[in-house]
Amino acid sequence: MSAQTNIDEELQAYADGQLSPERRQAFEQVLARDPALAARAAEIQRQTSWLRAGLDAVMHEPLPQRLIDAARPTATRPRVPRWLLSTAASAAMLAVGLAGGWLARDAVLTREGTPTTFARQAALTHALYAADVNRPVEVWAPEEKRLVAWLTKRLGFAVRAPDLNSVGYALVGGRLVAGNEQPTALFMYENDAKQRLTLQARKQPAGASEAAFHYAIEDGVGVYYWIDDQCGYALSGSLDRAQLLTIGHLVYSQLAAAEPRK
Amino acid sequence: MVAAPGAKAPRAGARDAGCIAMTVEPPLPHPDLLAAIPRLRRYARVLTGDAARADDLVQETLARGWEKRRLWAAGTDLRAWLFTIMHNVFVNQRAMSMREAQNVSLDAEGESGAAWQLPVRAPQQAHVELIEVLRELGRLPPEQREVLVLAAIEEMRYEEIATVLSIPVGTVMSRLSRAREKLRRVVNDAPGDALAPLKIVR
Repeated sequence: MSAQTNIDEELQAYADGQLSPERRQAFEQVLARDPALAARAAEIQRQTSWLRAGLDAVMHEPLPQRLIDAARPTATRPRVPRWLLSTAASAAMLAVGLAGGWLARDAVLTREGTPTTFARQAALTHALYAADVNRPVEVWAPEEKRLVAWLTKRLGFAVRAPDLNSVGYALVGGRLVAGNEQPTALFMYENDAKQRLTLQARKQPAGASEAAFHYAIEDGVGVYYWIDDQCGYALSGSLDRAQLLTIGHLVYSQLAAAEPRK
Repeated sequence: MVAAPGAKAPRAGARDAGCIAMTVEPPLPHPDLLAAIPRLRRYARVLTGDAARADDLVQETLARGWEKRRLWAAGTDLRAWLFTIMHNVFVNQRAMSMREAQNVSLDAEGESGAAWQLPVRAPQQAHVELIEVLRELGRLPPEQREVLVLAAIEEMRYEEIATVLSIPVGTVMSRLSRAREKLRRVVNDAPGDALAPLKIVR
């Protein structure tokens, strides 16, 4: 194995953040003495960020129904899960904006590429990003001002990140996510136990104006969602229902106390 | 501002009854399996260079993952496990289609470019380097593409990549280095700031 190979392997590992602190330090000294190598390292980082920029969009595309089904083989289960049926019987959890209720919702979900409910989308988005250790958000909390300005611009109404420190959740940051109908703002919070919550906000499609809190469990994620002044909000997390409701009310009251929009 | 949600709160208690019924079966799809789909799609898109074929590959991967779910050691990285399955499915499919085509082009570099398209629609004002890098990614042999994406995008440890792809760590390193060297040439050759019109890749 030549010295050249070693340096190249070290360079790759350096760019990918896979060097131990000691080796990293040693390699940084090599870089300091070798401008050509340093330029090469910077260049690899540039490549990586271009690749990310180009490929990340795939992550935000709505999921085709056939893939959701593939993660949920139907052989052993009825088409509509039993718990959904019993929920439908209670007639209390009609999806916002879908007057038809659960069966209509199911019909909608079986068509590929069509909108899924806000609550479900919120749960899927939560599951995707809350599980991401390294890049759960795009803009981190220290840049909250920039984050809020950006999301406000993209959503077309004033969004805010509520302060949930009083219930032990600190803001991690946020990102813009692709909703089926509307771009959606996502704020993520985390407590000391590393449990994560997301608050998602979007402009509500016309025709829905109910202010009541709704609760749904989607794929194991609890979601509280409500509509307020043409904006839809969804608070998602793997918390028990009472905790989620408490935090939901806190979020609601903070948003309500803010300056009126328009 | 509409009425405070608290006004409707008493009904929340009544709704509890509806939600308790979900204890019989674990809620499916498995949330972790579901959460892995976007990453699998991105990886598949890079492998196949085609949205429909990529989703076929993801679907097959999820189906096999479900079949073999008892083989997954709980607590280990589900993502790595699923990528391993996807890699195997992809390699088998490729071997099969190459046999069928009777097209004995074993030179992977020559064979990969034809059908591969930019994995995503490049934004209108995309920087020329972005487009060039994605295009060159498509020209890489799939073996190098895999390693590059797992290391640079998925941020997997090299040892983990070696396991996923069933190759020695040294091979991971050399493929990664070659892939980056090729992209480097493109980036350095790319014209200045002008937006070059997109050419069709072979």
